[in-house]
Amino acid sequence: MKTYIAERLGIGLVTLLGMSVVIFVLLRLAPGNIVDILFSTGGYVNPSERLAIERELGLDKPLWAQYLDWLRQMAVGNLGKSYRYDLPAWEIIKPLIPVTLELAVLSLVIAVLLGVPMGVISAVRQDTRLDYALRVFSLAGLSMPSFWLGMVIILGLVAWFGWIPPVTYVRPGENLGLHLVQFLLPALAVGYRSSALIMRFTRSSLLEVLREDYVRTAWAKGQTGRVVIWHHALKNAILPVVTVIGIEFAFLIGGLVVTEQVFNLPGLARFLVQAILWRDYPIVQNLVMITAVVVILSNLIVDMLYGVLDPRVRYGN
Amino acid sequence: MRRFHLLAAALGLALTASVAVSGVGPATAQAPKPGGTLNVMLREDLPQGFAVHETSTYSTSFPSLPCFNNLVFFDQAKPTESLDTIVGDLAEKWSWQDNYKNLVFFLRKDVKWHDGKPFTSKDVKFTFDVLREAPDAPAKLRINPRKDWYANVEAVEAPDAHTVVFRLKRPQPSLLMMLASGYTPIYAAHVPPAQYRTTCVGTGPFKLKEWRKGEFVEYVKNPDYFVKGRPYLDGLRYVVIVERGTRTAALQAGQLDTAMPGETSKGTMEQLKKAVPRMVFHEVAQSVTDNIIMNTKKPPFDNPKVRLAVSYAVDRRGLIQASHQGGAVLGAAMLPKPYGVWGMPEKDLLALPGYGKSDEMKPRAKKLLAEAGITPEKPLRVEMATRAIAIYVDMASFVINELKQVGVEATLKQVETAQWHPMATRGEYQIGANLTGLGTEDPDANFYENYACGSPRNYSQYCSEDVMKLFERQSQELDVKKRVEQVVAIQKRLEQDAARPILAQRLDYFAHWPHVKGLVPHHNVYNFTRFQDVWRDK
Repeated sequence: MKTYIAERLGIGLVTLLGMSVVIFVLLRLAPGNIVDILFSTGGYVNPSERLAIERELGLDKPLWAQYLDWLRQMAVGNLGKSYRYDLPAWEIIKPLIPVTLELAVLSLVIAVLLGVPMGVISAVRQDTRLDYALRVFSLAGLSMPSFWLGMVIILGLVAWFGWIPPVTYVRPGENLGLHLVQFLLPALAVGYRSSALIMRFTRSSLLEVLREDYVRTAWAKGQTGRVVIWHHALKNAILPVVTVIGIEFAFLIGGLVVTEQVFNLPGLARFLVQAILWRDYPIVQNLVMITAVVVILSNLIVDMLYGVLDPRVRYGN
Repeated sequence: MRRFHLLAAALGLALTASVAVSGVGPATAQAPKPGGTLNVMLREDLPQGFAVHETSTYSTSFPSLPCFNNLVFFDQAKPTESLDTIVGDLAEKWSWQDNYKNLVFFLRKDVKWHDGKPFTSKDVKFTFDVLREAPDAPAKLRINPRKDWYANVEAVEAPDAHTVVFRLKRPQPSLLMMLASGYTPIYAAHVPPAQYRTTCVGTGPFKLKEWRKGEFVEYVKNPDYFVKGRPYLDGLRYVVIVERGTRTAALQAGQLDTAMPGETSKGTMEQLKKAVPRMVFHEVAQSVTDNIIMNTKKPPFDNPKVRLAVSYAVDRRGLIQASHQGGAVLGAAMLPKPYGVWGMPEKDLLALPGYGKSDEMKPRAKKLLAEAGITPEKPLRVEMATRAIAIYVDMASFVINELKQVGVEATLKQVETAQWHPMATRGEYQIGANLTGLGTEDPDANFYENYACGSPRNYSQYCSEDVMKLFERQSQELDVKKRVEQVVAIQKRLEQDAARPILAQRLDYFAHWPHVKGLVPHHNVYNFTRFQDVWRDK
């Protein structure tokens, strides 16, 4: 087991190194840099001032030297300085992480709480009106982008009740109730979409399992429906669902951009877009690397969960 | 100076009221109530912190205004800005001497910086030596977009701690307009200019408490403010909301007390008015124009006939209805009356190329194009560049459709913000749809910045020695009436040369809740909202 984890972490490191090259190169391929943006806010360009700023920010160095500088800084835990804010990048990034993590986790909890039971009911009541209704519900979830749903929620709330969740981020320590209110609606908007996916996977996986001999045997032994479905069938049908949950979590970490924007939550995803628009290389590069670390770790956790959920799964040699 | 002011006053008599579109107006007989915090809309995080001198966006200057003071400022109670509405700020009084070649400021003696240090003439000299990049300037700005505003300043002297003398190369009465702009705060000499990118040490009515990046900027009342009894409010909170729909919803839901200047279109006003009938709106000019830039150094727009044809081709009224839902007005380079002082009278405006009826203008455009050798058999194909932002793209799309009707085939090229100004400054385009904002509604600021030979913001690279002489002449004119006439003639000439055809002057329908009192929006988004006299009736 330890060997397996070490191997996976080793592969993860190589992946991160690859990611660092990709993000570094892609960012430089995008037209313009921070100096262009700074001049854009001034509405003009002065070539000599431009060179001076590039020198100040180290952008006049060859690309390979800039890349190695970044790796060296990361190796010692220094994430560099934000070009836009003139502050250490970590100081900017640190408060963003819990916001996105919380939103992603809450969304996923809602998705699982909605998706798994709906998938089970839909499979058990296959081809009934209830099944059709749940499938329509899930299809609607898949068809509606969560940011659109988010905007509809905001506009609906303000039109009908003259109220929207707080637009200034409320920290849990400041007011837990208000904090949860602030996160509940975006989590619902995002969770609904994910729940639709989870529901469909749960349904199809469970339908397959319900036709297995051992399920028939369980029915024949006179076990109750609850035991057959939840204990025998679902336990074996859940592996693909866990995979989907893992993928969804990884997707959510980077995919909450517009939801964070609509609900005005100061998270990683929203900030990442702003940083890209500003060509704030240190912020973008480090945010992408942090996202990559979360994705790698969540994948590893999902793989480890297989062993817990299915004793037949063994790790290592 | 007195003669100048009297004339300006006479000209501006009818120009001093913004239009309260619905609800109650800002003027009130109630006694102001102290206390409370005002929640203010902010469309994006501060691009350069509080370093106002290093940017030209009001996303920086707007939330920085409460922190700073100028030498002089526009009277916050008067919506139309002119020399006549300038009042003392850090300067108690001022005096023109030596036939408008020396401008002497007598500074207040009771002013402290937010860090407790005393404000003196050294701070003023420091600020303007840095701004005009004097040879012995003690510091340098990273970028300096308004250096040209001070091209006529030969020296800034501080003979004693509370007197400052601006020595000019030639008379320039409207230098005061530049000094009164929201873009001209006084920096502290003991604070490096770079430090303003992360914090704010000013003398203003509010002190910076916290800037939470991407979330909000929070100010608290400055207890040592030199205007006794001000500010009324205990604090200000600028809430950063990037998403436009969410910004409007937050205002409607009462989480914001006031909009950001320039953010309430006519459509948004109508929507808000329907939802919240008691919301207060003010129709004011933004001092921002929709215009067309054409590269005068490259074919085909090096040919004045082709440029003029483009100007004739675009139906300005159609644009105002289609792109602005009526929320803009006809105007040339300067704001028309009643929004501004220097604008062309309507009868003169209507005689300009492209300002008349569309069905009369388009045949003229076709005739000019034919004279330039452009016919239906040999059409002109060009690339219309614009910033990849909705308000730019809307305008560009409209112009493309108009040009098509006179035989010019234009394709749209959306340019990302990062590339827009470098591209425009280097002249790497044929024709473009552009927006231009004026930091202060003054002919000097506008003409030298956008039309003068060699100016980096003269994107069309239009250059006329005659016109430059006209710029110099109006700039030195001491008689306001004569100057207005000269400025009108210059605007006419610029439009006839199709230097940068103006399509519309944008309006804003500034919105706030009725409990916000003492806030008078100006016909210029850059120069109000210091919130010194604003209070909450709640």
